Amino acid sequence: MQADPSDLIQRAQQGDQAAFEALYRAHVGRVYALCLRLTADVVRAEDLTQDAFVRAWERLASFRGESAFSSWLYRLTVNVVFLGERASRRRARRVFTTDDPAALERPGEGSGTAGGRVDLERAVAALPPGAREVFVLHDVEGYRHHEIAELTGIAVGTSKAQLFRARRLLREALSK
Amino acid sequence: MMCSDREAQLNEYVDGTLATGARALVETHLAQCAGCREAVAELRALVDGARGLPRTIEPASELWAGIAGRIGKRETGKGKRWWGGALAAAATLVIGFAIYRLLPSSTAHDRREGRGWVAVQADYARAADELTAALATERHRLRPETVALLEHNLGVIDAAMRESRDALARDPGNVELRGLFAAAARQRVELLRWATRVATSS
Ligand SMILES: [Zn+2]
Repeated sequence: MQADPSDLIQRAQQGDQAAFEALYRAHVGRVYALCLRLTADVVRAEDLTQDAFVRAWERLASFRGESAFSSWLYRLTVNVVFLGERASRRRARRVFTTDDPAALERPGEGSGTAGGRVDLERAVAALPPGAREVFVLHDVEGYRHHEIAELTGIAVGTSKAQLFRARRLLREALSK
Repeated sequence: MMCSDREAQLNEYVDGTLATGARALVETHLAQCAGCREAVAELRALVDGARGLPRTIEPASELWAGIAGRIGKRETGKGKRWWGGALAAAATLVIGFAIYRLLPSSTAHDRREGRGWVAVQADYARAADELTAALATERHRLRPETVALLEHNLGVIDAAMRESRDALARDPGNVELRGLFAAAARQRVELLRWATRVATSS
């Protein structure tokens, strides 16, 4: 019998690690994709994915089911990424390495449009961090500007400006 | 090439966030401007492409073991038992003071511990201050239900300490009162120490 997700969530809230692992298995791909696209860095993305799930475990009690568990988890992930990225940018003005196509390719997936998709992933990864983050949140993940402002602490106007800039840079990169 | 002064407008047009009037103006312009028409087509393709990216990417490494190792450190069962104990002890203290107030004013004054008593109070105050400061920077790491329980228990203990302090003001040398006050103070320090340990290890 398939476990009911809300039952899984309840059990995890009561400290059941096996239930939490099932939630992890169900959501890790989405959380990791978000971390990877936001950071364009495989190692950072793996660390942040782990941080996000540890934070989720700690905060499970505050999940009350007004929203879907998945949207709660992805918002928490964005928070974790932005806290972590801000800290790491303070520590070292690291240049983001983006030439890691293996990380962004998924061998064996589709064929017809796969080339265009990989080009787009690479071009997104090559964007400056601020533009990339807003593009991923708005155009890939579907957040609205006011939500992005709330999640990341930037102004709505800045979110729009970064999005338009990202799209301009992407159109240039993809038309080459 | 799009008209460079129309970048924001065309983006908002593609996103469907323009008011009707502004939208009509853009459409009028698009009817006359091939460069902007081309830009709109490219923007639409880009937005569609982004929406069409795979929602999930499986990490190449197994990440669960690292997560399990970190969440395994939280000792839920032990913590709960401790909380139960703290609450019961604090409740006992409150009951103790209630009974004390029913008794006739004590005649059993013991002044031998006068200096020691001042030191005990100072030690307690210093420990509580240090722990409160440490906890203030880490409390966001505690789960909300834990914070609520912590505050509730601190409230019970503080009430007990206030009662004992008032009683001691009326009866400064009372050894039993001092014992009760010291027990509550110890309890408070223990509670803060526990919460700080949980917060910093999570
Ligand atoms: Zn034009």
